[in-house]
Amino acid sequence: MRALLAVVERDFRYFLRYRWWIAGMVSMNLADLFIMALVYARMTNPDVVVDYFVFFAPGLTVTAAFAAAFMIGREVNMELRREVTHYMLSLPIERWKLAAGRVISGGIRGVAYVAPLLATTLAITNAYTGRLPTPPELLTVLAVLSSLCLGTSGLSIALALSTKSFEKYVTARSVVYYALFFCSTVFYPLSLVERVFPPLAIPARLNPVSCGADLSRALLLGWAEPTPFMLVDVLLYALVFGLLAASSYARTTRK
Amino acid sequence: MMNPKRVWVVAERDVRSLLRQKSMLAMRVAWFAAQVAFFGLIANYMFREDVLAAMGGSYLEYYVAGMVVTMLYSTAIFIGYDVYEEADHGVVEYLLSLPVSRRELVVGRSIGSGVRSLLHVGPMIVIALYLTGTPSALQLSTSLFCLFLFAFGASGLSITVAAALKSSDRFDILMGVVDALAVRLSTALYPVAFMPSYYGGLASINPITFAADLFRWGAGLESALLTPPLLAVVGIVAFSSTFTFLGVALYERRLEGGGWR
Repeated sequence: MRALLAVVERDFRYFLRYRWWIAGMVSMNLADLFIMALVYARMTNPDVVVDYFVFFAPGLTVTAAFAAAFMIGREVNMELRREVTHYMLSLPIERWKLAAGRVISGGIRGVAYVAPLLATTLAITNAYTGRLPTPPELLTVLAVLSSLCLGTSGLSIALALSTKSFEKYVTARSVVYYALFFCSTVFYPLSLVERVFPPLAIPARLNPVSCGADLSRALLLGWAEPTPFMLVDVLLYALVFGLLAASSYARTTRK
Repeated sequence: MMNPKRVWVVAERDVRSLLRQKSMLAMRVAWFAAQVAFFGLIANYMFREDVLAAMGGSYLEYYVAGMVVTMLYSTAIFIGYDVYEEADHGVVEYLLSLPVSRRELVVGRSIGSGVRSLLHVGPMIVIALYLTGTPSALQLSTSLFCLFLFAFGASGLSITVAAALKSSDRFDILMGVVDALAVRLSTALYPVAFMPSYYGGLASINPITFAADLFRWGAGLESALLTPPLLAVVGIVAFSSTFTFLGVALYERRLEGGGWR
């Protein structure tokens, strides 16, 4: 267990060194929330979204968690290209612990990054709706965000290990980003997607980013009932991509 | 005295580097297509009727034109990253050994970056024009020329910041923050009329607003909410000349005595 924790700690310390990246991400997220969402709120049809600013806040938390957790893939790809993996293998740590540690640390980074943003979202949803989630509801939101971060960390590592070319990795990462963000309910409600773009409705419903955003909205805003499907979808995402990444990492280090 | 032929040789080198960035180009086209196909199309049905009417009837058309300018800006500022990379890899010494003057080198870099950016977003401009239509060749060519000036100015801005800051990390974060704020505080995504007054004032003097509204005008989008074309042209010329001058002056000074190291 100590070896696994050492891997997690190393990756987390690396994350704290990217203060420029974190500052950039924070400014982008705040600009999205306090400029873009505020303006869209003045343009949106209230029959479609009651208040876009409040609607968007939980969605933004989910995308921010996703982006922060995805960052571990960039490092894993760099380590693969520069053969830092050889050094990692020389450490007195079993391979499976090394693999699991990388996936878990990616998830923890996402949760650490998103915690202040979640507090901001809570303040906003409370100010606008007067609602505060109960402790079990808040714990569920945290569990969903953690699972989403874990799955995303796994997805980014699996993607990073699939190629040694940084350009190909960046291209693949962008495709995954845009597909998962825009085919989701982060920016618009599922009912609108079903009405305007029916072929996109099923991928949008199954998308873990949608489930994370909708579950957060349900628990923070009380605008809809949370469904067990949303929770199962995010947990499955975490399990599948967590295992896939760990096995890919273990396989790559055996080559 | 600058020799135009030598300036073009320098510019051509930057334009040719575009051909080496196939993956980047593919990624940007994919990003653009996803934004337009998913967000633009669905958001079109999210807004009130009066909002859509004020924007010329369709948010999709309004949005696609704004996205083109956003991409043009993001591509143009890439020259700053090149400046750092060349300093890191020792390419600056090679460039300085060429039989071109410092000024020809710097002006050529700015022009090359402007042309490269415009070529880079060429496929996106075609997609945008396919959606919006092309009403007048004169209007369209005027707006495209202004887009080139805008890209030229954005390259100058990027070179200015890169020449002023020694650290590539600081440059990266500063440009990221400027990008996030400049795009959102402009009419790339929404008209000034719907912004709170404290944002609207900044958006009205933002060069991205001038470029986006001018491209919409060039593409024939009829909307009372657009910046008047003449004002937009003046704004872009002022932006472009200011930052080209600053970029050239600062970069030229930085090249003397190994200031890039």
